[in-house]
Amino acid sequence: MPTPQLRLGPISPAAPGALYQQIVDAVKREIAADRLLPGSPLPSFRVLAEELLVSLITVKRAYEELEREGIIYRRQGLGTFVSERGHDRTRAAKRVAARASIAAGVHAGKEAGMSDRELQQLLREELKKSAPNDERHKEAV
Amino acid sequence: MTRQAVDIREIRKSFGLEFNLGPVSLSIPRGAICALVGPNGAGKTTLMNLLMGIGRADGGTAELAGHDIRTEEVEVKRRTAYVSPDLSYRAWGSVGRAIDFVSGFYPDWNIDRCDRLLQSFGLHRGERIDTLSFGSRVKLATLFALSRDAELLLLDEPTAGLDPLARQQLFAELLKYMRSEDRTILISSHQLADLERFADHVAVMQAGQVIAFGSIPDLLERYVQLDVQLPHDAPVQSSVLRAISRQQDRACVLLDRQSSQRQSLEELGAEVISENPLTLEELFIALMKTGRTRWQPKLSAA
Repeated sequence: MPTPQLRLGPISPAAPGALYQQIVDAVKREIAADRLLPGSPLPSFRVLAEELLVSLITVKRAYEELEREGIIYRRQGLGTFVSERGHDRTRAAKRVAARASIAAGVHAGKEAGMSDRELQQLLREELKKSAPNDERHKEAV
Repeated sequence: MTRQAVDIREIRKSFGLEFNLGPVSLSIPRGAICALVGPNGAGKTTLMNLLMGIGRADGGTAELAGHDIRTEEVEVKRRTAYVSPDLSYRAWGSVGRAIDFVSGFYPDWNIDRCDRLLQSFGLHRGERIDTLSFGSRVKLATLFALSRDAELLLLDEPTAGLDPLARQQLFAELLKYMRSEDRTILISSHQLADLERFADHVAVMQAGQVIAFGSIPDLLERYVQLDVQLPHDAPVQSSVLRAISRQQDRACVLLDRQSSQRQSLEELGAEVISENPLTLEELFIALMKTGRTRWQPKLSAA
């Protein structure tokens, strides 16, 4: 059986969040973007540790966390797979997180005395900045 | 098959007045990379030497790969590969001749892996060993250990003299080696950022003792640093305070969250301003600065 591939991008101590959390987020991102489909096999944690150049315990923790959230599941002797509802769960969780971040941003802006108009302008600028990423995303999908 | 790859119980050795090792107890589960860290002279090499039968312990017992180091020495050495920067291979002339000589001792020698490691470590069979840099000689010693299918690797300072890229290649090879789940590595090194990234467990040694042991994520959750405002009459240094650094009434304190230290700090009248996580390197330095309190190490194999 060929080793399942999983491309997660770089994991770095310089990036925000613990290394295992970066792996959790990266897997969720892949699922939310449909690059990783329900039922897809994931590499064993030993193989992924080798590919990402992080400790076994880091990848193990990331897999345990993803399993706890119901995003992936383990079958004894067969391996680890993306669950059917993994996609919905990551997307729903991300929506909630996005809404909370925007709410926090609005709150901070109001505290700084910004008007609604200025806040809307800010949001437009941020969307513009992230546009190239969105283009890439569309291509990948 | 026992669950522990290394099981040390109360091992000790006396070297006169200046240095005594132990009693050291340490259980390392199979399938993990365990880092052995400590300042120079803490006893890391002495401990590894004792495990490999270089010198005899005054007391205590140890099992490597499920076999007693005293009564089953041959079995232990068949299953264990040991590397030390003290080992010299100069007498064999070239890298190739050294490999041909050493490989003959081991039925489990993996020729293909050895060739791949030569390439990955940038070593060549024709090179004379006495012209190699210190780092390249360390790489050659590590190659000897990794070319076997040993269950347990004891690597004493395999990062010594290696540049950052060579260190990453070394750890990439160690992770490759760990693909088989019955393998275990005990590695001593001063490269704490590397160890935080690549190792699973850590044993911290100081003055011949293991003063902290556990899985690295667990230890980094257990120990944090507190920025505290102290009352004017606070003691200069106390076992409760465990100050990493101090400027008059403001101190940076190492907090063991599994102890009642926080409560004691409050009783002292200290006000916590912030609580911050530590890197493994920061934890190491904090333990060294606040250490020599001989609290019992927790020996749970996480």
